Amino acid sequence: MPEAEPDWSDRCREALSRYAEPLLRTVADKLVRPRTKLPAEDLLDKSAATLGNVPVIDRRIKELPPAERKLLALVGLSRQPRWKVAHLLSLLAALDHHDGFAPVQSLLENGLLFPEGPEGAGAIADFTAWYGAAGTNTAVVFAHPGVAARARGEDLGLPNLSDRPPDATPRTADGLEWPLRLAAAWQLANVEPVRLTQGNALFKRDLQRLQTDGVLSAAPTDQLAPLADPGVLALLWSATAGLLAPNDGALAARAFPSEWDGPPLPLLAALFAALPLVDAWDPLSGYAPSESGLSPTPTAGLLAVLLARDWVAPDEVAAWLWSHHPSWASALPPETPDKGAAWAKAYLLGVAFPLGLLELSGDFVRLSALGRHLLFGEKEPPAPPTFPQTLMVQPNAEILAYRQGLTPGIVAALSRFARWKGIGAACTLELTAEQTYRGLESGLTLPMIVQTLNRHGTRPVPAGVADLLQRWASKRERITAFASAVLVEFPTAAELDAAVARGIVALRLTDRIGMTADGREPSLSQLRLIGNRDYEGRPQRCLAVGEDGVTLTVDTPQSDLLLEAEIGHFAEPVPIEPNGARKFRLTAQSLRRAAESRALSDIDRWFEERSGASLSPAGRLLLLGSQMPAPRAERLLVVKLATTDLADGVMQWPATRDLIAERVGPLALVVSEENLAALTAALADIGVSVASPS
Amino acid sequence: MTNPTARLPAKLHRRVCLVLTEDAVLAEELLARKKLATEVAGRLSDKVLLVRPGRLDAVLDELRKMGHTPQVVGK
Repeated sequence: MPEAEPDWSDRCREALSRYAEPLLRTVADKLVRPRTKLPAEDLLDKSAATLGNVPVIDRRIKELPPAERKLLALVGLSRQPRWKVAHLLSLLAALDHHDGFAPVQSLLENGLLFPEGPEGAGAIADFTAWYGAAGTNTAVVFAHPGVAARARGEDLGLPNLSDRPPDATPRTADGLEWPLRLAAAWQLANVEPVRLTQGNALFKRDLQRLQTDGVLSAAPTDQLAPLADPGVLALLWSATAGLLAPNDGALAARAFPSEWDGPPLPLLAALFAALPLVDAWDPLSGYAPSESGLSPTPTAGLLAVLLARDWVAPDEVAAWLWSHHPSWASALPPETPDKGAAWAKAYLLGVAFPLGLLELSGDFVRLSALGRHLLFGEKEPPAPPTFPQTLMVQPNAEILAYRQGLTPGIVAALSRFARWKGIGAACTLELTAEQTYRGLESGLTLPMIVQTLNRHGTRPVPAGVADLLQRWASKRERITAFASAVLVEFPTAAELDAAVARGIVALRLTDRIGMTADGREPSLSQLRLIGNRDYEGRPQRCLAVGEDGVTLTVDTPQSDLLLEAEIGHFAEPVPIEPNGARKFRLTAQSLRRAAESRALSDIDRWFEERSGASLSPAGRLLLLGSQMPAPRAERLLVVKLATTDLADGVMQWPATRDLIAERVGPLALVVSEENLAALTAALADIGVSVASPS
Repeated sequence: MTNPTARLPAKLHRRVCLVLTEDAVLAEELLARKKLATEVAGRLSDKVLLVRPGRLDAVLDELRKMGHTPQVVGK
């Protein structure tokens, strides 16, 4: 599920709680104006509550100097509460307020703006120091949207560039072009997340994917002005609009945000609000990451839209930006001698018009009813007529989607299980095995997919396509991977049978191990736990090797699943006696089978891990006996001494030691026939007589 | 005879990463894939493969490369 919209009052309170107490009191004195000295916690609560008090906020805004009021108004007009400080300073400079950080600082001190980050920093004691620590290019502030909205009526002092009425009936867009392209960008990232460098830039391979993608790189069918790298804009915009999120160094698809479920207006408002956060893109240059991370696009784009409040030619907007915006002109590509006219045209006609913010008449644009509603709170435009049956599923598994009937909800639903092939007056999608699989993986079921196609289709899904979907869905059932399941092991098969009968577990994995259908923990009320193992933990010693060296007894409470899977490689199970322990027996066959896939050292290591000692001598005999030189059977002449000491002495004394062939026991020495007389004589010299063999 | 209402003795194995196949032949097919076999810690039964801890993503990648569309539960 997408994350819920943050509670901005809580967010403001949290930001205030990061202030050192003297600073908190200074801010609260200006925002809340308490009559008595209150504890810090009370100040936090009262400050957060004041931000929702409309009359008080209106008074506070009215008391601000013009630059601060304009800054707050710009935040409100943009509908984007989070702004980089550097962008806000650019906007103010364009409005002829060249006071640097001062207006932002004043709003921070008045509790009408709040600082973000940096992560892990201590309490904020001073806003100037915070600005320095956060970085002049990267510092971000936010305003409570309710507060910023109260400032939207402030006169920004922007000129009216309109000089004549339109020539013809204005034309508006359906607003779906960018939602469709963002959905296609979401799909691209869903197939394979878009990796980011450490500096948050795109890798060349992913940039090429975006620049060559058939849907994302294509120009709109009724293109009014060329736009560079529309695929990059769609990707970056979908990230700022919450369709994608950073995950492990890449932008990955997440669930469609809630505004995609309803009518177009909330979605278009959300996309408009997300647009100022797109920094690394330019209408003429396309993908344009910069070292500073700052681009004039967000600020120049917002001003361009604001300048189009009444009919205006994009050239005139460009001329105003040329003379007022502090960094826009210098960022224009050097080969454009038109003073940014192409930029303004591309932004207004290529971005703002397809979003439905502007209407067009001849060469002139102005805010549409939607644009005036979003920016200036004018009357909400009427909802477009609905045509719920707008899809046609063709026998070749392609879907034709007539655009006039598409809604954000249908676009989001289709994006989950059908691949966008073309965006135009009639869009085309394709049902594929991979995309159906992704749809099912996202939580859809086959009936849900078919129902969506039937509900919005002009005719039922063709039988052949339904069969195809069924086949693809069935293929997914062939392999199920559980990322983190809880398996239940019973001492006997009978107990597993009982657990299945009682519904404690649903799946039988072995004759004694089962699990619930979704791999979650079963109800413990009917179980008596005799062990609890973590699969990711270290293997435990859980085998006892019998005196015979071949019988292995499992210590059931200590044993883990890996033992269960591995022991069969080394030994054969022994039938379990009633209430008896589980036993296995090493056999020559089982050990030779194990040796086929692992070295003796690995077998020894396994036995050391599991039993505390390497493979038993009996096990070694079973495994290696046949590979060694064959044993010899022979008759030997053995001289047996009375004690070990005497045998040791015979082995040590120079007169006898060379006559001994081999010692075969503590008391037994082997002597060759020819040396027996010499040994007998040597021992006789010291008074030891050797009895002759009987 | 087991008491039908008695609590059953059981040992729980938590955080287990495993792959269930429709039949034993499919499990054999997966194990025949060298890259996949190295990620399999053991075979619990003819249709159940235990995946080495933390290696599920690699297994899923390999399964998809083989053209399979595994259903992933609990990720």
